[in-house]
Amino acid sequence: MHSLKELKMSKLLIVDDEPDVREFAKNFFVKRKLEVDTAASGSEAIDLVKKSKPELILLDLRMEGIDGLETLKQIKEIDKNIKVIMVTGVNDAESINKAKELGAKGYIHKPLILEELEKVVLKEIRK
Amino acid sequence: MTINYKRELEAAAKNMILIHRPDTLIKLVLRTTVRKARLTHAAALLYDKKKNIYIFAESKGETGVKVPSGYVRLDPNSGLIKFFREKKNYLLHKEGVLEFAEISNFLKTKKELFAKDKLLKSYLQETKYQMQLFDAYLCIPSYIHGTLLGLLLLGSKKSEQPFSKEEINFFVALTHDVTMAVRNAQLFEELKSELDKNHSLFIHTAQALASAIDAKDHYTHGHTERVTQYCMAIGRELIKRKKIRVTGNFLETLRVSSLLHDIGKIGIPDDLLSKKGPLTEDERRDIEEHAMIGSSILNPLEELSDAITAVKQHHENFDGTGYPKGVKADEINIYARIIRVADSYDAMTSDRPYRKAFSDQQAFEELRQYSGTQYDPTVVKVFIDIYRRGDL
Repeated sequence: MHSLKELKMSKLLIVDDEPDVREFAKNFFVKRKLEVDTAASGSEAIDLVKKSKPELILLDLRMEGIDGLETLKQIKEIDKNIKVIMVTGVNDAESINKAKELGAKGYIHKPLILEELEKVVLKEIRK
Repeated sequence: MTINYKRELEAAAKNMILIHRPDTLIKLVLRTTVRKARLTHAAALLYDKKKNIYIFAESKGETGVKVPSGYVRLDPNSGLIKFFREKKNYLLHKEGVLEFAEISNFLKTKKELFAKDKLLKSYLQETKYQMQLFDAYLCIPSYIHGTLLGLLLLGSKKSEQPFSKEEINFFVALTHDVTMAVRNAQLFEELKSELDKNHSLFIHTAQALASAIDAKDHYTHGHTERVTQYCMAIGRELIKRKKIRVTGNFLETLRVSSLLHDIGKIGIPDDLLSKKGPLTEDERRDIEEHAMIGSSILNPLEELSDAITAVKQHHENFDGTGYPKGVKADEINIYARIIRVADSYDAMTSDRPYRKAFSDQQAFEELRQYSGTQYDPTVVKVFIDIYRRGDL
């Protein structure tokens, strides 16, 4: 099963250390006809990016282990063309600036508005 | 299988009374609703006053859309929230709920109305879309004094049958009960945090007053702090050994009493407090006044009655030979009896203008010698035991 999945290029990769969030966001975008992969940590995301390059990554800023900024940096080192949208808290202004310097495409605040999430992701994928 | 909704409601209400935490309460209600009415899922959207947004607080369900707690929000100007804030009744059930089927139908059939009012159409479309985003078939609002406190979003029934009138009434009644319970729980939490805030303000005030007393009397620098520390150690040990029947907030009262025990020194002239030579009879009487002065200063604070008595009595002797009233044994309150020992010990082990400090051993010898006359024997014994254990 896993090898099949690897062959297929997944369009969207969701990186979040909360299982509920991964499940919800995945279902949300699968319903919108996207191919979605998930990663539970920064290191898992980096491994996945090495194997199959997603078009767009939805990356949680605050994670256990390798945090969002470090993950972003390493992903950009693997392929700087992969688009990354950061999922941040309202008070993460400093990290948002750093993420932009590291080449993040944009960011979205938690708690987020679903329409906004939908719009941001679909816009980037359809480009 | 049909459910007895009235009975379910009564059972739910009974549970709610017992729960003081809004989040636990909402979890319980969502779980009950999903199970009893066999729904795909249910979610609760709650108003966050500080951020002025509505946040998905909780969702439950095995098959439907489950929004992670705290991950998704709706702004007050979004369609769904506006719909309930502004109570656009023409669409609503008379119970005040919004059904997906109804809003869809309304959008399809009222073309004439929308031709005149394009804004209305786009706003209702947005509302409908937001219901779709959460797969909500039924939205039930919860109001407190006319303010939208939250929304209960219900998925469909697993049987895919439409909701019956009885079911809708059940959900509305349940939401109403939950609203009241959440409101109570919130009030309870607010009150608690308000009390905590006031309480810590109060303790800080008492500490500030205590430092003011210490600052006035250079020779007793740090005296109040040390006495308070000894008193607390004695108090805890008395509780541990079940030597006292703990009523109310014993340790808090003890802390306040010991912090404030010398507050009456504010009314004693500085030169008298720091006089180097021996005191005349009049001077001694003036200094002894500090116990009465202290209790008069605190007198307006009714809540502190036990502490005020302690301030007044902290120089009373166990055998009735102390001042200001010469009361004895149980007539002296426990806080004063504890302070009496801690206060004397600190006075003995500190340098005074007219003598050098006693050693710990000498001080304990004194305490033992006057145990039963000046000091409460139980308090002396406990204090010495704590010292021997090395816990002072």
